[in-house]
Parts: sequence; structure tokens; C-alpha cells
Amino acid sequence: MRRHEVVVVGAGLAGQRAALAAVEAGRDVAVVSKLHPLRSHSGAAQGGINAAVGAEDSIDTHIYDTVKGSDYLGDQDAIEFFCREAGPTVVEMEHFGTIFSRAPDGSLARRPFGGAGFPRTIYAADRTGLALLQAIWERLATEATRFTLYQEWDLTRIVVRDGKVQGIVAFDRKNGRFEGIAAPAVVIATGPSGRIYARTTNAHSCTGDGVAAAYEAGALLKDLEFVQFHPTALLDSGILITEGARGEGGILKNSKGERFMSKYAPHVLDLASRDVVSRAIVTEVSEGNGFEGGFVHLELMHLGKERIESRLQEICDFCRNFAGIDPVTQPIPVYPAQHYMMGGIGTNAKGETSVPGLFAAGEAACVSIHGANRLGGNSLLETLVFGKQAGIAAAAFAAQAAGRPTVTDSDVDASQAPIRAMMARDHGEDPAQLRAEMQATMERYVGIYRNDADMLEGIKRIRALKQRYANVRIVDRSQVYNLNLTDALEVGHMLELAEAIVVGAYARTESRGAHSRIDYPKRDDARWMRHTLARKGPEGPELSYSPVAYTRWEPKERVY
Amino acid sequence: MAVAKTLEAPIEVYRFEPGKDAKPHYDRYTLTVEPHTPVLTALLRIRTELDPSLTLRYSCRSSICGSCAMQINSKSRLACQTPIGPEIEKHGRLVVEPMRNQPVLRDLVVDQASFWKHYDRIEPHLKLDPRHPMPEGKPNPMTPAEVARFYETPRCIACAACYSACPAVEADADFPGPMALAKLYRFVVDPRDQAHQDRLVRIQTDGLWLCLRCHLCTEACPKDVRPSERIRDLKELAIAAQGGTEPGSRHAIGFKENIRERGQLQEMKLVRQSDGVGGMLAQAPQGLRLWRKKPEIAKKPRAIDDLDQLEALYRELDAPPRDDS
Repeated sequence: MRRHEVVVVGAGLAGQRAALAAVEAGRDVAVVSKLHPLRSHSGAAQGGINAAVGAEDSIDTHIYDTVKGSDYLGDQDAIEFFCREAGPTVVEMEHFGTIFSRAPDGSLARRPFGGAGFPRTIYAADRTGLALLQAIWERLATEATRFTLYQEWDLTRIVVRDGKVQGIVAFDRKNGRFEGIAAPAVVIATGPSGRIYARTTNAHSCTGDGVAAAYEAGALLKDLEFVQFHPTALLDSGILITEGARGEGGILKNSKGERFMSKYAPHVLDLASRDVVSRAIVTEVSEGNGFEGGFVHLELMHLGKERIESRLQEICDFCRNFAGIDPVTQPIPVYPAQHYMMGGIGTNAKGETSVPGLFAAGEAACVSIHGANRLGGNSLLETLVFGKQAGIAAAAFAAQAAGRPTVTDSDVDASQAPIRAMMARDHGEDPAQLRAEMQATMERYVGIYRNDADMLEGIKRIRALKQRYANVRIVDRSQVYNLNLTDALEVGHMLELAEAIVVGAYARTESRGAHSRIDYPKRDDARWMRHTLARKGPEGPELSYSPVAYTRWEPKERVY
Repeated sequence: MAVAKTLEAPIEVYRFEPGKDAKPHYDRYTLTVEPHTPVLTALLRIRTELDPSLTLRYSCRSSICGSCAMQINSKSRLACQTPIGPEIEKHGRLVVEPMRNQPVLRDLVVDQASFWKHYDRIEPHLKLDPRHPMPEGKPNPMTPAEVARFYETPRCIACAACYSACPAVEADADFPGPMALAKLYRFVVDPRDQAHQDRLVRIQTDGLWLCLRCHLCTEACPKDVRPSERIRDLKELAIAAQGGTEPGSRHAIGFKENIRERGQLQEMKLVRQSDGVGGMLAQAPQGLRLWRKKPEIAKKPRAIDDLDQLEALYRELDAPPRDDS
């Protein structure tokens, strides 16, 4: 058994920032990740990171925009803390070495983003996530002697005994060995779970492993029904076209050549909040105003070659390589795709979950600052602000933890035995087939527009898939880099989360932010201004609710 | 969008599990794909439809995570960024193999330890000097012109396609490889870094001059980082920082001055310029053998006719670059 003081699972921006904070606090840290840290999905974030800096902008406006964007489901105390930390966080990342785009006077360049009252999104061309990921890894790697990197290790479970975290079980892809890593404090920063859906901007690795493990370990998941669909994903592949494309002046048009956002958001047009723009596109296409094949156009041509190629370099490459079109001369065919999970492991602003010793940060967590809908530019900021907080809190917890946590052989075997059984089967369910059916189910029944009958059907289908999963079979019996095994584990994790998403969504009889029900089209503050909490029970998720924290901002109708 | 024609693509994939298989073999799969279908999509379809035991690294499928570099028809490419149609059209087949210069763990997955070791060796982080602290509570100022000096190095996704394509890596395990050197360049032009001089002095004897200038890295790079051009820039910066200190940089300086004198290479003199008198003596037996076959190398070549034009060219190249913007 291996032993550390703080185990961080996930090595994207949130995990690395947490690890850095725990290392700086003097703890012995393990970083466990199924990808090399530089291959984390944080690197795919394009548009930018929000911070109200400079005399013209104000932190209060950033807070207000975030509260309004959340459709008043965000916790206002956490949002205030979050927006105040923005400036220092960006400065710290600049000092770590991030190469940001610059204004002519040498200051950090800023661009407008959706749902924001001021152009406050600081960026590095259209690869801001990559720029930040490189810088945080460059900084963390200077502490290489003070942490252990378990690279290409997959988390299988979080071990909790007598209500206390004991550590984790994970396996090493290189040799297939399952091992226990004991620690009094575990930080989950495993990022997105977008692969639950068929059309997603997320990487293949975004399978919610840490969220599912926390759920299995008894932690409360929060607000899972709020799933963000990004308005502009490339038609075939679902590859993200940054909101920065509209921030730079890109416009959406339907097949009649109309700038249709004027109907849905007359004041801010294409830069309305993401849920609003995604619904507008779906409505246009369903009303027959889409192009053949079901999509709309994102036009950049009027911005000119020089601006497109310098500010949206990656987008140019994506369009040319993955769609065979040139955005300098042609419109980009786009349609919404799953992009971000507002929900996740419930935490407070210190990253503490409902299980002592278990912490979470980044997209895997739900503080909640995004409420029912996240604003563009707030997720990169969230990873760094709350990654640091979770690292500090986990380090403090570990320093004071009494007793000696242990991960026993039987804990390890509890993860390994089901895998052995899956490998021993001569017949059984194919994990890839289960995954495809789950993805199609979520897309069809729990998508952008939802209703009672669809979601009931969705629950039925996901539960049937869970039953079939009990008989899943791993065909590949190799111990080395067995992706068939990884597939089986991941689809198991995703089915648990899919069930929690659809059960939570079915129960919430209102429309708020990204949760849009045609049978309950209005927001219902009297009944539903509260967070959904899901605990894993023997029959599936057991729901309870908790109040939203208020400070200064009264709920108002949300108009853009 | 136009409905694309489909094609029957035969795909030959390298399969090998060291320790289990005696030697590598190739499995052949046939898929119906559209010409623009990326190789990665085809490999993932093989995994889900035909053979779940096929093993590869992949994640983002949009050329930003750097996971899926491999040899596609013998070129180092990202599988997610390489459409099948043009490959079949050009080569008549599609052969997919693991990256080179790194040992195979299984199938298309290689052990990247040496690649990361070289990356770590160039100390890829800002090195600060306590005498020049960062501005408190504020970002460092940096002009767009200073940002432009990074060229495309910030786009590097560490995919190792350049490392796989590099013959110098193959020849010499001490060569840091194109990615590590391009990364070093990124720090050497960073106005926040306080160790430019030390970095440049160190790399002169730490592998910089082992680059063969073949530009295969630049051809392989999926993000247009152009590592070979940045290595060239590093060499110029290293000479500017320290002058010619060892055979590599002395050879470069000597070559330039050598040609300037007569417009033709004086080979004997170049050996002395690069390696000094001692080095020349050490190479004497080889020189003698060469002289027997090719006695003219010992003679000074005659000066070319238009030496004044050459001199003008040299002066032009030595002048500070004009701002063409």
C-alpha cells in the first residue's frame, strides 16, 4: 500500500492548483491522473478567463452578471468570493508564465463574452486553457521532489470507513495492477462527464470518474440536472467553436439569412447567455429555419482574414481540418452540443464535501457559482480559485487528521474482483454498445428541451442499461494498457451519473437556466429556488434539497 | 453541405505486445468511411465495431491534447487531424504504426519517458532572479511585439510528433529533440525569464548543435510550431550570447566567414575553424585518406568573379532586420 497525506485525483487546472496549494502547505502529495497532466481537458478551453480588472469594470458587475447568468441558483456568497479572487488569480497565472494576449499598451487584452456587462474576458488567442495548463504545470513541476505523479492511473473507488476517508484504489494502465493509496484527505478534480451525451464538445476522457466514485462513497451530488449545451459546436464532430468567435464579432444566421438572435435577445444579440442562444438555435431549426441537415451558420467572414487568423487561429485550423471549410470565406455550420456540467460533487467555497476528508474542485464539483447556467470565461477561473481553496483545505485537514488511514487488501479486491468477473465472462454486454445506447438516450430524452414523458422514458431506459451493465464483459484480457477494461469502468461510472441527472431533472418541475421544460416553461422561485442534492441509495438516487445562499441580489426576470 | 461519397478503406494497423508476442504483426481491417473521416475516428470504430483489444492513446479528438500522434503512412501525424481519403489516394493504402524513437508498450502506445526527460532537462519554467521581483499584484507588462517573438511556440501540445520524426533523436539519445529545444526557445525570448544567458550557454554544450537541420520536425508539427526554425534562432541567440565556444557554433561561424573570403568553401580551413589545430591533428588520418581520393581539397579555391556582390549580400544579412510591418 502506498501512503501520502493528500491525494489529488485529476491533473487539469483544478487538480494541479490544488496539488500546488497542498505542496506549498508542506504536505506529501500524490497526483493521480489517467492522462499526462499536459493532456488534460482544461487545455481544450478556448475563449478566456474572466476578471474584472481596471477602472472601467467592477467586481460588482462581474458578481451581478454571474448571479443573473446562474438564473439565481448560484450561491451569492460563493460568487462574491469567486469574483474577488479573479484579479489576483489571473495575476498569479501571469507570474507563473502564462503567455496572455496583450493590448498595445502592454496590459492584458480583454474581449467581450456572452452574458457579461463588460468585455472582461482575458485570453491567450483562442487557446487560453492550453496557455494556463502549460503555465500551471511548469510551476507545479518545479516542486517535482515534493509530490508523486501517478500518470495514466485510473481511479476505481474512494475508500471511506467509519465516515472517514482512508484513501483511494486505482489501477496503473501500464501493468494493470490495482493498488491502494492511503491518505486522510482526497481531492477530486476529475473534470467533466460530457461523454454521457452523444454530441459533446468534451474529450473522450471526460467520463466523470471522480464524481461517480464520490457518489458511490456516499457524497452528495448537487444540481446535476443543469447541463450546459454550447451553442456553437461544429456540425459533424461536435468540436467546440469558442464563444470568443462571437466575442470577436461573429454572428449567427439562419437559412433565410436572418440574424435570428434579434428575436431572442434584442439587447445583446449573439452574446446572450449560452442557454438562451442554444435554445434559439434549436427553435430556429425545429421551425424550419435551419439549413438542410439541421444547423445554422456562424459567420466570421466580415471580420477579415487578418483578425480571424490572429485571434481565432485554432478555430481556423479546426474548421479547415475537421469540417473542410475556411472561416475566412465561408460560414461555419454549427449546432449546440453538450459542453459543461453545472452540477457535480456538492461543496462549499473551501471545497469541502459532505464526507469528512473528501474535497472537490473544478467541473467535477458544484460550489455552486454557476447555478443553472455558467457564463463563458467563468470555468477556467473556477478551476484555479477553487482548486487552490480545496488544496488548502485538504492540506489543513490532513495536517490535523487523527489516526492512520488504511486501504486494505480487501478494499483493493473490492475494485478488482468485479473486473476479474467481467474478464472471466464468455458472454456478456459490450461496454461500447452500452455507452452508445446511454449517449443516445440522454441526447433524445434529457437534452436541451425536456418534458415529463420524455424524462420518464429516459429513467426507464437508463435503468435498463444499468441492469445490463451488471453483465458487462471485457473481451481483452491483457494486463497492459487495456482500454477495453477502461471502457467498462467508465461506462459504469457514467450510467450512475446519467441516472442521477435524469432523476433530478424529472423532479424539478420548472424551467431555470439550462433546465428547460416545455411542460413547465416558467421559473418557479417559490418552489424551486433551491439546490437538488442526490445521495446514492439502494434503489437509485435519493433526492433532497438545500437553500440557495443570498447576499444582495434579488431574483429578477432574466432578459438579455 | 454536399453529401460525401464513401470509400472502402483498408487499414493496416501495427499490433504488438512485448513480452507476449514474439514479434510485431499487422492486422488488416476494412471500414466504410467518408474521405474526410479522420484516422482516429476509424481507429475508434475498429475498437467499437471490430476489435476492442486495439490499443492507442487519444482524448480530445480536436488536435489540442497531443495524445494521438502516430506514424500514418510513415509520417508522424496526429490521427485526429489526418483525413483518410487523401492518404489512400496518395499511397493506395493506410498503414498505422506507433511513433518512432520511443519503445512500444503495446500496439500504438509508446513509452514517452525519454521525451519527457528531455523536456524536463531544459528546465521548462520561468527562472527568476530575486533582484528582479515580479510586479506586486500586477501582471508584467508585455507588448504585442514581445508576444510575437514567441512565434507559434505557445501552440505546442507536446504530442511528440517532432520527436518521432527526428533522425538526430534516433542517432543520439542525448539530443534533446525538437520539442524540448522549441520549448527552450520559448523561455529564452520570454522577457519575464531572468536566465536567458545561462540557458543559452548551457545548451551550446547540451545538444543544441546536434540538430541536423533536416526540418522533418517542422514538417511533422501539427501546430505549426516550426521547431527547426526555432532551433536555428536558438543557435543565433547562443552565438550572440557567448560566441563560438565549441565545435558546433565555431563550425557555423567558420562556415560563414570561410565562404565570405572567396565565395567558395575552403574545406581544410573549415576543419581548423571548427575544431582548432588540435582537432585538425586528431582528424589528420581521415584527412589524409580524403586527400588521396580528392587532392584538390588541400588547395585554396580561387575567388569567385562577383565577390563584391557576395560581400554586399553578407552586409545586408548582417544589418539589423528591417521592420516590414
